[in-house]
Amino acid sequence: MNDKITRRNFLKAGAALAIAGTGAGLPSPKEAFAKAGAYATVIDLTRCDGCQGEGIPKCVEACRVKNQGRFPEPVKPIRDLWPHKKHDDWSEKREVINTLTPYNWITVEKIQEGGKDLFVPRRCFHCDNPPCANLCPFGSLGKYETAAVVINPEICMGGAKCKAVCPWQIPQRQSGVGLYLKFQPLPMGGGVMYKCDLCQDLIEKEKPPACVAACRSRLGEKTPLHFGPRKVMEGLAETRRSEIGGAVYGKEENGGTSTLYVSLVPFSTISSRFKEAKGEIHFNPVSNRLSETNRYAGAFLAAPVLAAFGAIGLAVREKRAEKKGGR
Amino acid sequence: MAERILPQENAVLRHERIELLEHWLFALSGLILIFSGFGELPMFKRFLVTELPLMSWSGDYFLHLKIHYLAAVIFVSVAVFHLVYHGLLGHRGLIPKKGDLGASGKTILSFAGIGREPKSGKYLPEQRLAYLYMALVAGILIATGLIKVVKNLPGIYLPPGLITVATLTHTIATVFFLLGVIAHLAALVLKVNRPLVRPIFTGKVDLDYVRLRHTLWYDELVALGQPDVIAGEDEPLEALAPLEGLEGGGGQAEEKPNGSKG
Repeated sequence: MNDKITRRNFLKAGAALAIAGTGAGLPSPKEAFAKAGAYATVIDLTRCDGCQGEGIPKCVEACRVKNQGRFPEPVKPIRDLWPHKKHDDWSEKREVINTLTPYNWITVEKIQEGGKDLFVPRRCFHCDNPPCANLCPFGSLGKYETAAVVINPEICMGGAKCKAVCPWQIPQRQSGVGLYLKFQPLPMGGGVMYKCDLCQDLIEKEKPPACVAACRSRLGEKTPLHFGPRKVMEGLAETRRSEIGGAVYGKEENGGTSTLYVSLVPFSTISSRFKEAKGEIHFNPVSNRLSETNRYAGAFLAAPVLAAFGAIGLAVREKRAEKKGGR
Repeated sequence: MAERILPQENAVLRHERIELLEHWLFALSGLILIFSGFGELPMFKRFLVTELPLMSWSGDYFLHLKIHYLAAVIFVSVAVFHLVYHGLLGHRGLIPKKGDLGASGKTILSFAGIGREPKSGKYLPEQRLAYLYMALVAGILIATGLIKVVKNLPGIYLPPGLITVATLTHTIATVFFLLGVIAHLAALVLKVNRPLVRPIFTGKVDLDYVRLRHTLWYDELVALGQPDVIAGEDEPLEALAPLEGLEGGGGQAEEKPNGSKG
């Protein structure tokens, strides 16, 4: 298979969808802010079989192989994160693949619904207005026009705020590694956060993320993972949703994301099943809490302008008073 | 400028109401910004502040962000007002002058009993330097803060390198701002500075204090014509006992019991 994705190929796919009458003229989601030209992933839950019989899901395997040189190698012994008597260390559990860890940036989890297995790949949604990147106090996360939200491990202090503000708690911390070690024994930071970076380096070379390529290698046209320009992927998700009479998740959640799940099983049901199984996944409605604050952004323009006019008025009055009083 | 001697009150009107309002809005919004800014660092939960009574909310980053925005709107507006208002009126008293660094050094040494504090105008040289310091830090905080506000808007993609630089600069400048506030308040540890507490609440400063420590300003005020005050110039200055080390202050009182300006 030719892994190279070109804009021409994407446009062809988009045109095909448009001809099919499903991809064109879709209304923009109210709260989705994706810049034109950004990429997106479609995850079709009706087609993921969890790579049964493969030992390890191909997407997970490809991600681990591709990123193994970037996995953390902590300095031991790792100190507890004072005043807490604990730290995060996954370095002895690198083989874990059933949850997200600093060594496992995509996972495929399984639930049972209607007597059938349902496999759910899970990794960073790469939000359009990501709270993790916007609220990192060290500017360690960047949002690229490709849609990728990328952690810079060189300046990440591991405070785990990105995980706290992520509606899906995606980033995972490894202690004993990173910039914070230079400040020890001061109780600052706690390691480095790790998560999927959408294979930003591959996208820049016009190649799809490793997970998508691996899945396509195994299943060909029946792959549940699709990657391409945002508009094309939105059209694809909508087409598939329409075909199966299902639903799409991720298009509007958290202000819009570049990961679109398509499922026949209602997402509320999937969430309930994971909750029953005490799993970490949820597919609940999520609003972007940054939008609550962005309402005040206009005041940064209006209030200083008003202040300036007020200052001019008062200064003029003061000068007149000085003249009048002979001061 | 309405600064003038108030003979009936044995005081000098040092600050107008507008200036007091500026100061307190700047101070209160600044303190809120520091608190909410530190709340944006992942430290309140880490250091168990969220476990304190009535402080469980302090772990909510989005709430801190809202508070930070609202306080920042006030902070930026006051800064703009300050620049425009005082700029138009030609107020230059707080802008550092040549020789302020040396004069500040002498002042600090005088606190340790070495030498005498130089004569000052309305503002002490160290106050002018402190003003420059806080203005620079506040300017950096405002510029980087505005970049961060823009960055948080939907559909805005600033270069990750710019975001990293702006964010780190903002965070580090906050530490310098906090140090400035601490130094500002720590100045009150010195008894000699305490007469300046009253004017930042009432606008009025003790006349005898002005006569001794802000000699040049006092002379300017007298030159404006205040005969009854000039007549009171020879009054004893027992109340100024804390002002040791000042030229003409208590430290000099043994040589010149009348506390004359020397």
